[in-house]
Amino acid sequence: MLRKSPRKPLALLAAATSLALVATACAESTREGGGGADSSEPFVFAAAGSISTLDPFLTSDGETYRYSRQVFETLLRHESGGSEIVGGLAEDWEQSEDGTVWTFHLRENVQFHDGDALDAEAVCANFDRWHNLTGGYQSSNNSYYWQSVFGGFAENEDEDIPESRYVSCEAQDELTPVITITEYSSIFPGGFSLAAFGIMSPSTLEAIADQEITGEEGNYTLPEYSQVAGTVAGTGPFTVEEWDQDQDEVTLQRFDDYWGEPAGFETMLLRAIPDETARRQALEAGDIHGYDLVAPADVEPLEAAGFQVPTRDVFNILYMAYQQEANEALADLEVRQALAHAVDRQRIVDTILPAGGEVATQFHPDTLDGWSPDVQTYEYDPELAEEMLADAGQEDLTLEFCYPSDVTRPYMPAPRDIFDVISADLEAVGVTVEPVTYEWADYIPRTNSGECPLYLLGWTGDYNDAYNFIGTWFSGYNSEFGFRDEDLFEAMAEASGNPDDTERVAAYQELNNQIMDILPGLPISSSPPSIAFAENVNPPAVSPLTQENFAEASWK
Amino acid sequence: MLRFIVRRVLQLIPTLVGLSILLFVWLQRLPGGPEYALLPDDATDQQRASLRSSLGLDEPLTVQYLSFLRRILQGDLGTSIATGRPVLEEFLTRFPATFELAVSAMLIAVTVGLPLGYLAARRRGTVLDFAAVGGSLVGICTPVFFLAFILKVVLAERLGLFPSAFRLSPGLNRTNLSGFAVLDGLRTGEWDVVVDALAHLVLPGLALASIPLAVIVRMTRASVLEVLEEDYVRTADAKGLHRNTVRTRHVMRNAMLPVVTAIGLLTGSLFAGAVLTESVFAFPGIGSFIYSATQERDYPVLTGFILIIATVYVFINLLVDISYSLLDPRVRAQ
Repeated sequence: MLRKSPRKPLALLAAATSLALVATACAESTREGGGGADSSEPFVFAAAGSISTLDPFLTSDGETYRYSRQVFETLLRHESGGSEIVGGLAEDWEQSEDGTVWTFHLRENVQFHDGDALDAEAVCANFDRWHNLTGGYQSSNNSYYWQSVFGGFAENEDEDIPESRYVSCEAQDELTPVITITEYSSIFPGGFSLAAFGIMSPSTLEAIADQEITGEEGNYTLPEYSQVAGTVAGTGPFTVEEWDQDQDEVTLQRFDDYWGEPAGFETMLLRAIPDETARRQALEAGDIHGYDLVAPADVEPLEAAGFQVPTRDVFNILYMAYQQEANEALADLEVRQALAHAVDRQRIVDTILPAGGEVATQFHPDTLDGWSPDVQTYEYDPELAEEMLADAGQEDLTLEFCYPSDVTRPYMPAPRDIFDVISADLEAVGVTVEPVTYEWADYIPRTNSGECPLYLLGWTGDYNDAYNFIGTWFSGYNSEFGFRDEDLFEAMAEASGNPDDTERVAAYQELNNQIMDILPGLPISSSPPSIAFAENVNPPAVSPLTQENFAEASWK
Repeated sequence: MLRFIVRRVLQLIPTLVGLSILLFVWLQRLPGGPEYALLPDDATDQQRASLRSSLGLDEPLTVQYLSFLRRILQGDLGTSIATGRPVLEEFLTRFPATFELAVSAMLIAVTVGLPLGYLAARRRGTVLDFAAVGGSLVGICTPVFFLAFILKVVLAERLGLFPSAFRLSPGLNRTNLSGFAVLDGLRTGEWDVVVDALAHLVLPGLALASIPLAVIVRMTRASVLEVLEEDYVRTADAKGLHRNTVRTRHVMRNAMLPVVTAIGLLTGSLFAGAVLTESVFAFPGIGSFIYSATQERDYPVLTGFILIIATVYVFINLLVDISYSLLDPRVRAQ
């Protein structure tokens, strides 16, 4: 290099430039092909993260589920575009009176991608496999949802693992698997719709029977079948063709023998773009045809530019929590109520949340059964708030108020702005607010362990049951909120254990009333998360649970 | 010469040990913990505690460090918490992408920077000189992510000249031999892959090249100017030596000394720049993987990757020193 005259580098540069120009022309031509009239054109969708495994059972990660829902189907699922639980692989189902025996009636003529037929034996083989898993599979890291829904395993290898709630799965006849559990929980039937329990073909189960998770906690090596496409077969509208880990790209191919409506796209590619802005720009540049987790501020500009940005129904909640142990004053109901009256929640909804957001009156959205129209509400009334604080002897109340500095969540766009509105409202009634910020990774541990007296947090539901919201927070002592109310905890356990749907819903309504009387926190809002698509795509029905079925989508 | 190299290699050992300690302590001080990244938000305190203890996070720091060191020495960098694959494998999967990007950036920086710096020095005070000096100042001052952003908005989105994201167009069929897309394409004769991969390298390559390019221009210019003033150049000219000989043998060779050092160090720093550049262009290399790992508190990936990159950096330094000693015999004599 050093002995070359400076002209040579120039020549090299010229060569590189011309090569780049040729490349440009080519890149352009591939992208023009994205027009879409041609149904064989791959549909490219960008997610915020890469998938972690081909077997959804092994994870609790939403990006993996987005892939797996296209490939594997579950016994039950949520209706397209809604949150009602409907038949999936099982056309219908019934439960015994005490909720411990679940009988499923499978669809006829359902075929797995590898040609196996779906029958009761195949379903039971899946459940029995999960129940009998050993070794590394028993780490809560590798079987999180099994443990949350079904407890433990046939033989628990660690005393921390709870006892199994699963008893058996029997094939009553060819298309009727019967699953027995030890006790009812309101996790059912929602639990049967969780993506982690996607049904795999008998041949797949046979092929992977000997594959172990090796290593130890924190150092596991996942089995090969979960890392290399080619082994796992489900019944979904797409088969998994390839998982290119170099490119973070999963290739899905239409399954022509699918029992339902065949997928609109011949090929669908899922790619990861962690950066929010980079996702938007890739859509604008035509490199992708859709992406998830659109920033609220991007919705209008994208729509103005001709993109489709359908809004999902609301299935989340944002709340301001009162940690009753972190600040004495908060243990006083009157103070909690006063603070609730001080906050103008409508202003937050009107000025910060995306269109379609609404003020929340209780700890779950009104789309869920169990939502109560009769809860005590706390209207915005700063004067009343001031009076109540004076009554409680807290005119000079000082409170630390935490919010995350570095994230937006589907339920919480722009945390800082929300914090500003609330803290201004609180200051207006005489409360001194001390702002505290943490990065998200630090925020969750600190709020969970009860370090913040006031803080913003929220939740997006996993399945259609009120317990998935209120049970998460109020079924026992929880250091996030820091209070004990045995009456409430007992009532929650009783409601959750009641297999009668009507009674359970009534019990949840009563619980919501009770919770809003106790006021452990102030529910603020529910806001609709958005997803974006290119102009030439007929998008799938968008799901409040973010469980879109991409087979419904097609090119225009 | 051999003694010099051996001495320099031995000096690496305390550097690397110190590095591993620093890294370990620093990672321990980071907020949050893998038990929050690994388990969903609604996991119970007990689930988190049991995960912590099974990960060995409740052991004393020295015990954790020693076992960390022992594993590294055995070549075991652990397993990624997020993906469940060995860290080394994750690194090797993503390294080719970053390597291609770094090489493109360095090629741009060197092929443009050296001649430009040289010409600016030879034509000191001309428009070209002002443009080179001013342009490089802008290059140094502009944050990489900002430049990446501008390049993307203008050249990819508005003009549609280059792809805005990824390393290869989605759905492109390619034969993956080594993970190096350009090389594989050349070997298998898949020209569409080569062209596609190069097109995807242009914008991130330019963004990543900006700082090294600016530094190289300025250093070459300053260094050439200095050498041109030296007596031996004047003597060589006066002796009537051919201009090209004077340029290459006397001016460039001597002027290159500080520039080579800079190029070496800049090559190492490309990895840092790659974290931002790759994120902006959704380029699936080690940079964007480190970015996600930071978000997810994937400790094994962070420690492993940073350790490997730092080691590479240290070795690049070694190479710089060796090449320095080849260029300048005085260094060896010291």
